Amino acid sequence: MTAKIVSFNLNGRDVDVMVKPLTTLQKLLREDLGYTAVKIGCKQGGCGSCTVLVDGEPMMSCLLPVEDVAGRRVTTLEGLAQGDELHPVQEAFFENYAIQCGYCSPGMIMVSTALLEHNAHPSREEIVEALSGNICRCTGYEPIIRAVSTAAERMNGNGSR
Amino acid sequence: MAIQAYFLPETVDEAVSLLAEYGPDLLVMAGGTLAMPLINEGVSMPAMVMGLRRAGLDGVGESNGRLAIGATATMTQMLAQDAVPMLREAARAVGGWAVRNMATVGGNLFAPPPSGDFAVALLALDAEVHLLSQSGARTIPLEEFYTGFMTTALQPGELVTGFHVPRPTGRTVYLKAGRKHANTPAVVTVAAQVVMDNGTVTDARIALNAVGPHPMRARSAEAALIGQPLDEAAIHAAAEAAMQESQPFTDAIASEWYRRRMTGVTVRRALTQLAS
Repeated sequence: MTAKIVSFNLNGRDVDVMVKPLTTLQKLLREDLGYTAVKIGCKQGGCGSCTVLVDGEPMMSCLLPVEDVAGRRVTTLEGLAQGDELHPVQEAFFENYAIQCGYCSPGMIMVSTALLEHNAHPSREEIVEALSGNICRCTGYEPIIRAVSTAAERMNGNGSR
Repeated sequence: MAIQAYFLPETVDEAVSLLAEYGPDLLVMAGGTLAMPLINEGVSMPAMVMGLRRAGLDGVGESNGRLAIGATATMTQMLAQDAVPMLREAARAVGGWAVRNMATVGGNLFAPPPSGDFAVALLALDAEVHLLSQSGARTIPLEEFYTGFMTTALQPGELVTGFHVPRPTGRTVYLKAGRKHANTPAVVTVAAQVVMDNGTVTDARIALNAVGPHPMRARSAEAALIGQPLDEAAIHAAAEAAMQESQPFTDAIASEWYRRRMTGVTVRRALTQLAS
C-alpha cells in the first residue's frame, strides 16, 4: 500500500498532499486538512453535504478519490469568503435565515454558487432542480430557495425571470 | 483489508493491460457513483481499483450519422449534446447535478435497478457497445450486453470503451415515473422509439427500466403496435402487454404491484404522447 503525493489547487493555493490509495477527497479535506465545512452525511453521494467544486463544477467529495483531482482546482466553502467579507451567496443565506441546523448549508451554498456562475438569473424551477441533490433534513428549503434568488439579484442586478 | 493500489491509467491500452494483469482482483471504476458508496460502507473491499477518469474515454462526437459516446462521458456531457434529444432527457433523469458531473454513460450499464435510467434510453435507440481486451475489440448490441441481474456479457479482461448510437429513425419519447419531481429513483422508466409509415407503425422499440433485472425491451408490447395505427386500442394493447411481461420487484421506492400498475400507465402515457 504505497502512499502517493498528489498536487492540486485548494481554494486558490497549491497544495501537495500524501494519500493512501483511494483516499476520498472528503476525508482528506475534513480530517487531514481541517476543512470542516466539508460535511460527512451519507458517504453515498445521496445527501450533498460534502459537495465541493472541482474546476467550478459541483461534485460529491465522498465519491472522489484525491488522486482524481490531481492538477485540478478544488473549492470548499472556506474558499468563498474574502477575508472577513462573506460571499454574496453566504450573505444571502444568512439574511434569509436559510440555515437551521446548518449541516447542509456548506453543500447548499457550494451548489448555489456554481449555479449562479452558470446561470445569472435562475428561475425558481432551475434553483430547485440544481439543489435537488442536496438534502436539508430540517426541511428548510423555502428560505434556501429565497436566498439563492436574493443572491442572484444582488450579484447580477434585478432581472430575475 | 485496506486497498493496496489505485491505478489511474492515462490511455485505454494501459487500462486494458492492467485488467489483463490483475483480472478479477481489479475493480473498474469510472465516475465512482456506484463503486465508492459500496467501498465507503465496507460492502465492497477490492484489493485493487482502477479509475478511468484519465483514460481518455470521455469523447462525444458524431460520425457517419451516428453519435459516438466514450464510456466515461458524463451525464453532464450528455445534457450538452444536441444530436439525440432523448439522451438529454435520460441524462436529466439521473441523480442530481453533482452526481451527473461524475456518473458516466458506461457506468450506467452496471447500475443495478431501479438505477439504469440512462441505459434504458440507449436500449430504445438500438445502441451498440464497444468492448476491448488485449485479445481484441468487439461490438455488440446493448441488448446482448445484459445477461441477468448484475451479470453481463463482458469476458474476463474486457472493458467497455464506448457506444455508437444511430440517429433515431422514428419518434422518441422518454418518461420516468418517480416519487419526486427530480433526483429520484425510478418506479418505472419507459424509453420508446416508434417508426410510422402512412399512419401505421412499422417498427417499435419499447424499453423499460426498474421493472426487471436490468433495462429490457418489452417485446410483446412492441409486437402489439406493429402493423397497427398508433390509436387508443393499439396503445392499450401495448400497455397491457408491457405490464404482463414486466418483472417488477419490491423495494423502498415501490411495491411490485405498484410498479406493474405504473408500467401500464407509463407506457400508455408515453405512447399517447408519441401519437399526438
